Amino acid sequence: MTAFPLKIVTPEKVFFDGPAERVVLRTSEGDMCILARHEKFVADLPSGPVRITVDGEDRYAALSSGVVQVGKDSTTILAYAIEWAEEIDLAWAKRSQQQAIDRKNKAKSDTELRRAELKLQRALNRIHVSSMHK
Amino acid sequence: MATANLKEIKRRIKSVESTMQITKAMELVASSKLRRAKEKAERAEPFFNLLYEMMCRIVAESGDFQSTFMQQHTSGATLLIVIAGDRGLAGGFNANVFRQAQIRLDELQAAGREAVVIAIGRKAVEFFQRRSVRLLAEFENIGEDITVYKAMDIADRIVALYQKGDIRAVELIFTSYVSPLVQEAHHMHVMPVEHLEHAPAGYHALTTYEPSPEAVFDALIPKYLTGILFCSVIESFAAEQAARRLAMENATDNATEMISDLSLVYNRARQSAITQEITEIVSGANAQS
Repeated sequence: MTAFPLKIVTPEKVFFDGPAERVVLRTSEGDMCILARHEKFVADLPSGPVRITVDGEDRYAALSSGVVQVGKDSTTILAYAIEWAEEIDLAWAKRSQQQAIDRKNKAKSDTELRRAELKLQRALNRIHVSSMHK
Repeated sequence: MATANLKEIKRRIKSVESTMQITKAMELVASSKLRRAKEKAERAEPFFNLLYEMMCRIVAESGDFQSTFMQQHTSGATLLIVIAGDRGLAGGFNANVFRQAQIRLDELQAAGREAVVIAIGRKAVEFFQRRSVRLLAEFENIGEDITVYKAMDIADRIVALYQKGDIRAVELIFTSYVSPLVQEAHHMHVMPVEHLEHAPAGYHALTTYEPSPEAVFDALIPKYLTGILFCSVIESFAAEQAARRLAMENATDNATEMISDLSLVYNRARQSAITQEITEIVSGANAQS
């Protein structure tokens, strides 16, 4: 398959910078797949799994909130955080899931509730993605 | 008299020496913190640049869309986010930020516009608490290990206030790190988003926005604000450390100079005391013979 340049950047690091053949993402409107020569496209990304195909091999990553932009000759994903499935600390993710649930139960305001929900989403996403990696 | 004077000088030398040890230690701490902060700022830079580029592109490519974040509002207060340090002893670092803030507050007052402040850094909180300024929120000790989620919390609050119409504009006062010797306090307009550099005219590419340009733009705004906050807090922290390192370096240099001056005075005094003693002994011996 034809490869296209893909760049994934977080505020902490450049996570991925190189050719990829296929990227499957979860946007706010549903799952989508990006291949080489995709039309120009921009979408918001909630927390969700990302599947990146490089040299015919699938790799999974857990993305926490971001945005994707497909340009004429490059694709850029900006994310608050992203980890490869094999790098996810499952124990930590489970702890933060529990924390999020506790916070959600104790939330006093809408903002607190929303924040706890987002945190829970991130934790669940990490746990889910971690299980995709064999 | 002479011995009392000698003791006094000795004591002063001791006291300057111990001060110098402290300033030296602070200088070393500041330079290692500066290194880390600079690395963090450099790592965050590509993210923010790409985000900004994306915002510009959306605005440029779909010139006809309207977003509440781009319109000029006529009611509501102006929000000033002021980022200063958590500690003093950093030369003019905090004072420069507050001077900028005060100028802007005076301007706003002169224009009859209400101002509210979000203070980041303990020094900023203390500064505004002493003044009759409405503090919307205050954050202390977040400069050193700010996370993107902390920045997101702050950004979300601001966006919510903006959407409610409580605030009509967001402005930021922070310090940029120019070089180890130069740090500049800046005043920046953040929202409404208006100063985006537009792409060349006639540049109309067909881009699909899911679900719509407006929705994507509005979803980008909190992220954009998060990026701005995150980066400016890190940069201000780096600038603070650089300012402190320089201030402490100067203090250490001054202390070294003082010690050498005092040592000279001390040696002179000691020598003249000895000379005097010898003269006394000799004249005593002469008187006896």
